[in-house]
Amino acid sequence: MINNSFRLRQVWMIARLQLRRVFFARRSLWVYLLAFFPAIIFIGHGIEVKIKRERWGGHAVTTPAKLDSVREGDTEEEVIAKAGTPITDQRFRRRDEEEPERRYMRYYDGTRQVNLWFRSGLLVQKSTSNLIDFEEDRQVYAGVFQYFYLRLAIFFGCLGIFMNLFRGEMMDKTLHFWMLTPVRREVLLAGKYLAGLIAAVVIFTGGALFCFAAMLWPQETAEVQAFWRDGGASHAFWYAAAAALASLGYGSVFLAAGLLVRNPIIPAAVLLLWEGINGFLPAVLQKLSVLYYVQSLCPVPAPMDSDTPALARMLLAPAEPAPAATAVLGLLAVTALVLWFASRAVTRLEINYSTD
Amino acid sequence: MITPEIRLDEVSKFYGEVLGVNRVTLRIPPGITSLVGPNGSGKTTLMNLITGLVHPDRGTIEVRGISPRNPEQLMRFTGYATQYDAAPRGATGYEFVSAGLLLYGYSSEEARRMAWKALERVSLTDAANRKVAAYSKGMRQRVRLAQAIAHDPEVLVLDEPLNGLDPLVRAETIALFREFANRGRHVVLSSHVLQEVDVISDQVILIANGMIIAEGQIRGVRDEMHEHPSQFLIRCRDASRIASILFEMDHVTEIKLHEDRLGMLVWTRSRQEFSRALTRIAGNGSPIDSVMAADENVDALYEYLIGGGR
Repeated sequence: MINNSFRLRQVWMIARLQLRRVFFARRSLWVYLLAFFPAIIFIGHGIEVKIKRERWGGHAVTTPAKLDSVREGDTEEEVIAKAGTPITDQRFRRRDEEEPERRYMRYYDGTRQVNLWFRSGLLVQKSTSNLIDFEEDRQVYAGVFQYFYLRLAIFFGCLGIFMNLFRGEMMDKTLHFWMLTPVRREVLLAGKYLAGLIAAVVIFTGGALFCFAAMLWPQETAEVQAFWRDGGASHAFWYAAAAALASLGYGSVFLAAGLLVRNPIIPAAVLLLWEGINGFLPAVLQKLSVLYYVQSLCPVPAPMDSDTPALARMLLAPAEPAPAATAVLGLLAVTALVLWFASRAVTRLEINYSTD
Repeated sequence: MITPEIRLDEVSKFYGEVLGVNRVTLRIPPGITSLVGPNGSGKTTLMNLITGLVHPDRGTIEVRGISPRNPEQLMRFTGYATQYDAAPRGATGYEFVSAGLLLYGYSSEEARRMAWKALERVSLTDAANRKVAAYSKGMRQRVRLAQAIAHDPEVLVLDEPLNGLDPLVRAETIALFREFANRGRHVVLSSHVLQEVDVISDQVILIANGMIIAEGQIRGVRDEMHEHPSQFLIRCRDASRIASILFEMDHVTEIKLHEDRLGMLVWTRSRQEFSRALTRIAGNGSPIDSVMAADENVDALYEYLIGGGR
């Protein structure tokens, strides 16, 4: 018997059958690359920190107090007497100048590295930096997430996943398989959207959390523990939620676009521009944007360097954030509106492979 | 009560400025109905309209009382084997057939049983667990047929279903269509070879340039066909002499000599008499190297029917 419960089962069945195609389609490979590229960068950074920590920790670690006692103007001998043998010790002389020999020493106190530059046997410059800076890494993550992940990775990933649900099958000449089953077109749309959404959420939420874990991985244990005590789980949750909701919103837009246009470049370019200029739009139009809502959910504001060019600053500056509840409900409303348009379009959809 | 016929009233379909079909009105009763026409004549468009894959710009369609705009009901009793492979990459024949059945609401066990039964009916059980991508053309044709009949439809629509089948499988497939038709079901199939559907159809619809040019029981169309001159290409050493002998015969309507004088194209109204005449000529010492039918497809017949006879 055909009733709504049966139709819901059909939605789930379509999603299940479609999922294999979505996850393992050859043309989805680059989606995985986009999703996991930031994590690869953070893992690389983590490996570098771990290697340095391992290598430098193998030498005698100098206590912070001894390093703090070193002052500019000290002689090489005095520094060595105060701080002991450095982990790096290099002497060099510039060929084009008849200058006295220079010397560079590096010390490590288990957390910080201290760099010392000598000229004519005297310490002329001392700089100190943390081997790894948790606060800085969190800022970098926030920047990567908002400028790359939301604006590009999820955007183009959803383009790849959701446009293929109808347009890709039209190109493969396989769409009629679904249209020759006893399924309402709206049910077919819902099933395919669900499949795309599951795939996008798994890939991009997974990618965001994996990247988050990669960012935390090389940090000092004490700092990480303090971070979790201080609401770290909430940060991870909101990043994951932002990635999932971005998939929900962009997915609906590209699903609808796949029903209406043949060339994905056109809707992608229009939407990218629309999202890019969102910060300048009047308040009413800002609300017709996926980025507006998902950026509002991000727990750490994206950093913006003071020397960023004015045009880039204008394009990257986020709109005034909305409260979390408003952002979630607003995004759901935009998604529902777009899906309603898509459901109208899918009932008019025709198989015409020869023109595709 | 469901009307057991397929009705098309004043149906037109255009693809932009390209004509698909134009003002088609048809009543298709149960039985085997063949849509015959040259490539690009509108056969596939007509079948796509009947199954709801495309929608008419004008006119109305009903399949046993159901509009093709309602796939939820239509496809419960309709199966359509298109000319395109719908199998996802990497799917086996069995997976392809059983996947669709799940959407009818059958349990996995029922879908499994029905899929195997359908594969058995098209003699494809041995290859059922092989990937569709590795199938031959004939096997793909059969797996599409299996998918179309798996839910035991009342209306079976088949686009060029005999293409690529070897003679044995072709005979089995035709028997399958006949079995469906004998149970009061619709079997609507397309072909561009009239001789192919001649022996299997209860009715034939001739279509050209998007318009129905003849329809009815096969006998009437067959009579037209027998009136239609057949073309034969003859290769021989003494073409001029053989041509002059043939031209004396009543059933020969036209002869064109080849430029090399080693062959000719002959139009005849009687294949039998033409065959007997050639045997006599060869027996009288005029060697004939080869004889080949030159109009096996239906295009020439169309030209004849549309043009009102040569």
